[in-house]
Amino acid sequence: MSTTDVAALDDERLVWIFTQMLRIREFEERVKRTFEEHPGVIRGHTHLADGAEASIVGSVATMEPGDQLMATYRCHGYPIVLGTDTGAMMAEIYGRRDGLCGGYGGSMHLVDPERGFLGTSGIVGQGIPQATGVAFAAQLRKQGQVVLCFFGDGASKQGAFHESLNLASLWKLPIVYVMENNNYNVGTRSDQEDANAAAGEPLSVKARAYSMPGVTVDGGDPVAVYETVRAAAGRARRGEGPTLVESKVYRLSAHGNLIAPPGVPLHYPEHEAITVFGNREEYEAALRGDPVPRFRMRLVEPGTLSAERADQIAQRARDEMEAAVRFGLDSPFPEPEAATNHVYA
Amino acid sequence: MPGRKAKAAAGATAPALDAGTAYDLLATMWRIRRFEERVAALHHSLLVHGLIHLSIGSEGVAAAVCRQLRDDDAAYSGHRAHGHVLAKGAPMDRVMAELMGRSAGLCRGLGGSMHLVDTAHGLMGATGVVGGNIPMAAGSALAAKIRGTDQVTVIFFGDGAVQAGVFNETVNLATLWELPLIFVCENNGMAEFTTRAEHTTVESVCDVVSPYGFDRQVVEGADVEAIWSAFGGYLARARAGTGPFLLECRTHRRRGHYEGDPLASRSALDDEGWARLDPIAQLEATANKRGWIDQQRARTITAQADVDVDRAIEVGRSSEPLTPAQAAGLVYA
Amino acid sequence: MAREIPYIAAVEEALHLEMARDETVLFYGQDVAPSEDDKWRQAFGSDRVRVSPISETAEIGMAVGLALAGYRPVVELLMSEFMLVAMNQVVNEGPRLRYMSGGRVKVPLVLKAGYGFTAGWAGQHTGSIYSMFCGIPGLKVVVPSTPADAKGLMASAIRDDNPVCYLMHYLLVLEHGDVPEGEYLVPLGEAAIRRPGSDVTIVATGWTVGKALEAAEMLAEEGIDAEVIDPRTLQPLDMPTILASVEKTGRVVLADQATRHASAASFIAAEIAEHGFSSLRAPIKLVTALDATVPYSEPMEAYVLPNEAKITGAVREVLGTASAVA
Repeated sequence: MSTTDVAALDDERLVWIFTQMLRIREFEERVKRTFEEHPGVIRGHTHLADGAEASIVGSVATMEPGDQLMATYRCHGYPIVLGTDTGAMMAEIYGRRDGLCGGYGGSMHLVDPERGFLGTSGIVGQGIPQATGVAFAAQLRKQGQVVLCFFGDGASKQGAFHESLNLASLWKLPIVYVMENNNYNVGTRSDQEDANAAAGEPLSVKARAYSMPGVTVDGGDPVAVYETVRAAAGRARRGEGPTLVESKVYRLSAHGNLIAPPGVPLHYPEHEAITVFGNREEYEAALRGDPVPRFRMRLVEPGTLSAERADQIAQRARDEMEAAVRFGLDSPFPEPEAATNHVYA
Repeated sequence: MPGRKAKAAAGATAPALDAGTAYDLLATMWRIRRFEERVAALHHSLLVHGLIHLSIGSEGVAAAVCRQLRDDDAAYSGHRAHGHVLAKGAPMDRVMAELMGRSAGLCRGLGGSMHLVDTAHGLMGATGVVGGNIPMAAGSALAAKIRGTDQVTVIFFGDGAVQAGVFNETVNLATLWELPLIFVCENNGMAEFTTRAEHTTVESVCDVVSPYGFDRQVVEGADVEAIWSAFGGYLARARAGTGPFLLECRTHRRRGHYEGDPLASRSALDDEGWARLDPIAQLEATANKRGWIDQQRARTITAQADVDVDRAIEVGRSSEPLTPAQAAGLVYA
Repeated sequence: MAREIPYIAAVEEALHLEMARDETVLFYGQDVAPSEDDKWRQAFGSDRVRVSPISETAEIGMAVGLALAGYRPVVELLMSEFMLVAMNQVVNEGPRLRYMSGGRVKVPLVLKAGYGFTAGWAGQHTGSIYSMFCGIPGLKVVVPSTPADAKGLMASAIRDDNPVCYLMHYLLVLEHGDVPEGEYLVPLGEAAIRRPGSDVTIVATGWTVGKALEAAEMLAEEGIDAEVIDPRTLQPLDMPTILASVEKTGRVVLADQATRHASAASFIAAEIAEHGFSSLRAPIKLVTALDATVPYSEPMEAYVLPNEAKITGAVREVLGTASAVA
């Protein structure tokens, strides 16, 4: 990987990006289908990244060896790009012994520290100060590490956002704050809860309060995201401090699966645009702008990628995630007594 | 539907100072000044105990703001609240008695310096936790908006509170909901024992809220006339049900963070430096120049202030602390 | 080699030694080392020692991130109540991460704060709220009552691979006591028997340890021999030491500066009731703060708190020697 600020993405890299986007989409589809095909296997609450693949892959593609990231409970996409075993991931979501975290955390708490994925928080905004601390450590180590901190637009209303960005700016921490703005905070539209959104302004204007650059990018274009995050990471790596990147995405699923007491079958309802706001047209438009087929077309049309090869990549992704589901279903549950392990180091 | 309110033209109905108002403001500021000086002495002799934060240096803000508020306008303050409380109309003897922990106190001796409350004068609460009641002020403003009255809420806070997450959370909501809330920040450049530069890269509090775009300005804390005028302009618009606004007053904290602060002596100004930053000295000079006041009148103001403080101390000293049994009945409503 | 130093110096001594020993130990918080010539910054540099704004959520959240990334932060929070601003980070984040990752990460950090400052600092600065941090799996809580323990527990807390709430008592900061020089560790989870005795067990923490010892002197004059135990660590709690004492004496008084249902005494009592029931010859008696926010006015403040008289009264009750109380 080149270390220049805005490295040109060669064809191979573009195909790799497409591949990761497909893998994420297929993984999330299989998680969603598990609710129908194997009811009861997934408990609690899961949150899918379908619709955000371009933003996730474009961001993570900028990472150099040693770089780290933290994310929210909507965390499946990032480890897939980092190379985490998808079978272990699925097993974790299924609560099995061979899961990524032994079944202890579930969908919202994936972690892969050896690959730089230091963890998530289930509480909106609370991973932001933690990622800021990881960047503080990176600064102390002086090894040129950069930290990517992912969160949603809802988190920008949390005090933790304000406090963390102020500090990161004050101490010039090597961090890029990537706000994936999907315009919804669960079932609330951003313009209902955010003064900037209500005024029709991009949320990146919030960066002004912290003397840091704020930039908005089309999160449906992985190359644009890559270039934007790469430039911000370059700033951070040179010791110039943090950047706020607002990546505009649209999630294609509801916030999460239905929350219901035991006995009620869990499933994914329709997107809140429809169920809460009756705005089917908005959702349909988002479907038409789905970043995955859009990027495929962008590569296939000029001949960067042949249709055949694109189909092969898609098939491989399907095979991989089918195997992940099998692995998860076949993995035994942990022993109940294991529940009291790992409380303390 | 929430939205950004149109920015009104600057300078709309900004009231000017006149002789009568200047006199009132001086009287209020001297009352605060003398009160605080005596409290410092009483603290030294242990008649007033505990954690005390004095308002010496920021009397101009308290006076110029509170003089324009009604009893039913709400005001919240932080740990450095004596000036705001006196300026808003809380009886001085009851404030002093509170600092002495006596039953005649505003809070019957149960709260002390950092927890002064006088709802009859709209003093809804002070807090010892920096920024702790900023969201509460938004609640007051929202209540007024829901009720459709022209009540306004003022939240007094220092520059140190601006970095607290709760400040930003409140600013977003106040903007979104166009609350009749006036943020009055006393920026003295110090948060406890460290300077603003060690807390943030953004020097002016006005710039911290710039993403929200509501009307705001910086005034010198020693320029009482400017505070009076700027606040008055915001107040008139807030009464019409719009907001929020932010008035950033650059003040000087004459004493240490708290009484007994060992670092206080380090940042002491010389007399000339202090006179430039002293709101009382500055307003007296202005009033003198305009022929609003003469030396004799000025002396009667300070003499009256001394009388009031003496009386307040008397009332405090002659009051007994609440009995434990009486206090026990106050835990729940 | 021990010499007498105040409690507050003992805390700093431990922190200094650990920072010199291990360069991954960091120290930051409000009002920490504001100037260049501050001793901490001089000793360890401006990277490892920093002042931070009043941003508890960020300060504590950052500590979690630092710990995940291989550092051992000590966060100066000044007063335990300020942790309430960031309760989510304190109890719902750091302590849970190792477990939820199935053991893949660890979160070594120390949240340093003072508590119990009942000296006219009024309702929001005088609480003993440690129970809010107790019972959280993954979170440890220590409450040293002597200068030696203040040093030894700070060193151990820093070396512990888990989040630790290190709560020093503000009324004890100037108390002098013998403190060993050099490296000195007091293990977490180990109680100390402050005064051996045979007639009654008094369990006390923090500032109430001193009250209990004074009460024991008063009781000795009446021929009552009290054993005083100081748990030193609230989580994990050394119940075996306490239960051994209960087995010996059969009578228990628990002194605690917190309010009743927020006291460590309440869960210690539950443990004794369940595991030491057969030893008990009288009901367990709790001597805690009264259920009120600590008042500002001095006589009322004293009234709500535990004291020697309340402790001796409770001892006489469990011994059945108390006269009828009005």
